Amino acid sequence: MNQTDSSCPNFQARLETASVLVHRAIDAVRQKRIQKRNLIWLELTGCSGNIISLLDGANPDFKSLASQMVNFIYDNSLMAAEGEAAMDQLFRLTGGDYILAVEGAVSTKNDGLYNIIGRRKDRPVTAYEAIKKFGEQASCVIAVGTCASDGGISAARPNPAECVGIQNLLKRKVIKLPGCPCHPDWFMGTLAYVMLFGEPELDDRQRPLMFYSTLIHDICPRRPYFDQGIFASKPGEKTCMFKLGCRGPVTRVDCPIRKWNERVNWPIGDDSPCIGCAMFGFPDKMEPFISYDTT
Amino acid sequence: MKRVVINPVTRISGFMEIDADIDNGVVTDARTEGLLFRGFEKMLEGRSPFDAVYFTQRICGICSTAHSVASTLALEDALGIAVSQQGRYLRDIIHGCEFLQNHIRHFYQYTAPDFIRLPEGNTLFETDHRDFRLPRRENDRIVQHYFDSLEYSRNAHEMLAILGGKAPHNHGVFIGGITTQATPEKIGRMRALLVNIRRFICDKMIPDAYAVARCYPEYFEIGRGYGNLLTFGCFNGYERLGTLYVNPSTYSDSRIMELNPGEITENIYSSWYEAGRDTYMPFETIPEPDREKKDAYSWVKAPRYKGLPYEVGPLARMWLCGEYRHGISTMDRTLARALEAKKIADIMWVLLDHLVPGVCVQKEYEIPRGACGAGLIDTTRGALGHWIRIENQVISLYQIITPSAWNLSTRDRDNLPGPAEKAMIGTIIRNPDAPVELGRIIRSFDPCVSCATHVYSKGNRIKTMRVVP
Repeated sequence: MNQTDSSCPNFQARLETASVLVHRAIDAVRQKRIQKRNLIWLELTGCSGNIISLLDGANPDFKSLASQMVNFIYDNSLMAAEGEAAMDQLFRLTGGDYILAVEGAVSTKNDGLYNIIGRRKDRPVTAYEAIKKFGEQASCVIAVGTCASDGGISAARPNPAECVGIQNLLKRKVIKLPGCPCHPDWFMGTLAYVMLFGEPELDDRQRPLMFYSTLIHDICPRRPYFDQGIFASKPGEKTCMFKLGCRGPVTRVDCPIRKWNERVNWPIGDDSPCIGCAMFGFPDKMEPFISYDTT
Repeated sequence: MKRVVINPVTRISGFMEIDADIDNGVVTDARTEGLLFRGFEKMLEGRSPFDAVYFTQRICGICSTAHSVASTLALEDALGIAVSQQGRYLRDIIHGCEFLQNHIRHFYQYTAPDFIRLPEGNTLFETDHRDFRLPRRENDRIVQHYFDSLEYSRNAHEMLAILGGKAPHNHGVFIGGITTQATPEKIGRMRALLVNIRRFICDKMIPDAYAVARCYPEYFEIGRGYGNLLTFGCFNGYERLGTLYVNPSTYSDSRIMELNPGEITENIYSSWYEAGRDTYMPFETIPEPDREKKDAYSWVKAPRYKGLPYEVGPLARMWLCGEYRHGISTMDRTLARALEAKKIADIMWVLLDHLVPGVCVQKEYEIPRGACGAGLIDTTRGALGHWIRIENQVISLYQIITPSAWNLSTRDRDNLPGPAEKAMIGTIIRNPDAPVELGRIIRSFDPCVSCATHVYSKGNRIKTMRVVP
């Protein structure tokens, strides 16, 4: 198993970035140095897997987020209210101060009728309408996951619901946290940074450099196999997955350090190739995911 | 008569609306409508068959493993690959982790807020009804477990990642079993996690489910539906271990029968699709969308078995394997799900016991020029089917029939409502201004509209009366 084995102080520090930031934000809220901000989490045209991934976070967990860090106002998967009462909780924030987290792309077909997220005053509220309304007014917009960031699998060819990433519909800056799903640390760390210091340093694709600055390939524990030309011919082998179609050489994110689910494992640690799920162009430009016949 | 509309139905995966007509306090008609369309079947055409395993997982964030398993079974069928017992054990352990994760989250995060008053002062926990009946101490104990449970559902995903790489959207499940091998260290870590999860299920979750049931006894009478039950089977037919859970079977008219997959059809009479006919078999066609179709009211298709609607899910499985025969109702579904969580934990214990470390189940597979395969398996929410046809080494047809499509299915020409619609019809609504019964009935099915990918809203039907639910 791949328990954190890093003796490298740089890796160790990066591993702790998210939890250090989150604990600082929680302390600052407790000491009233910063405001406890309102958080809206919109699930749009996607699989609603990013909220599940957030629940998988543990340093600290969802309870700390919802009780000590933010006023969690709205999320379709978790809120107790239903129907128009739920919609009212969302619309009550119109004109107020809030941070907006969005998962899922936005379906634009038929004026957005391919994804309705609720009904209010006898009218359907489409994902399209919701992102326009709440996206422009938010103090900060965070795209959580690959669909919200760039369309992702919801926009895969032939894109039947005509999906786009949320930036396409907003005339303001969106912080993008691609990944299918988004790692809970990436979201929690970014949110804490925004609350403490404002916008984090971003790359040219609007991703926070603190999580998205390094190619998987450059810090992959199997890199020595690549350098020596020792390649796996099928999943399950312990060498370099490059010839199976591994997208580590083009994917910029910290999976090899951070790993997943209490840091027990990650795709390459599972003897399978990276499929570039955190990359612009996923999935169409990252396929085939697995192929046995690449030279 | 009053028409009640609930949208969004929160605490489910995905988006849906409930429309119900209430006359003299009784639901006279009800419709379930999904509100999300993505069209995975169309996306899969022309892609590499191997990619379906990781691709189809993105249908659903809470039950992604289910799709990887069904997809892998369909590919193995198409490629003519016999899976080793070790391969099956490894894959089924990963699948079991998802059952545990899903059932714990569904009971505490999705179901409990219907019956338990969550802490005040948190917008997320504000409700729109007052029907909370548990004594203060019991209520507060379950609230504590609402938060405690986060650790155990997280642990279930951690177990999943030990063999599956990550969750949601695992990398482990693949043709032949899983990509990686078990090691003594991994097995030991999984056992340690499983012991704690099982203890939580037995000591907290099952007693909590019964505590809710005691205070809401009328829910054993509410939400029966047809009483037709169906399973594709799961954790069954192992060479040495036999069937640890349930074989493919159906229940109807007080009789249990073996499942005949040839009797599965899908119907689009009430759905915005055109296929030159109302009913087709899975391999026959992927219908084309037709928004203008007369008499259609939804994009949910209607799976049928022998032409009839069937309920799928934990209650169906527990009933068909003979372990739960108390009844078929809203509360029975919730109890069966909690009890099933314990059963799954016990099955996983057996499978972990039979793992041999270091066995590699992977080979280099070749895609045939042309082939067909079906993958039918019961998953967290019920019977899931993937059907794949390969032509010129790429996917030419990919049919998906999800558990939630069975439960939320629409009406055929015979006007028979889907199982969840049927479960709502006839229900006595105590307060039509806050019809809390409807959401409770629907959530007992654990619907996943993210999975029911064909679903669409009927648009702008005129409502005769609006009630703020």
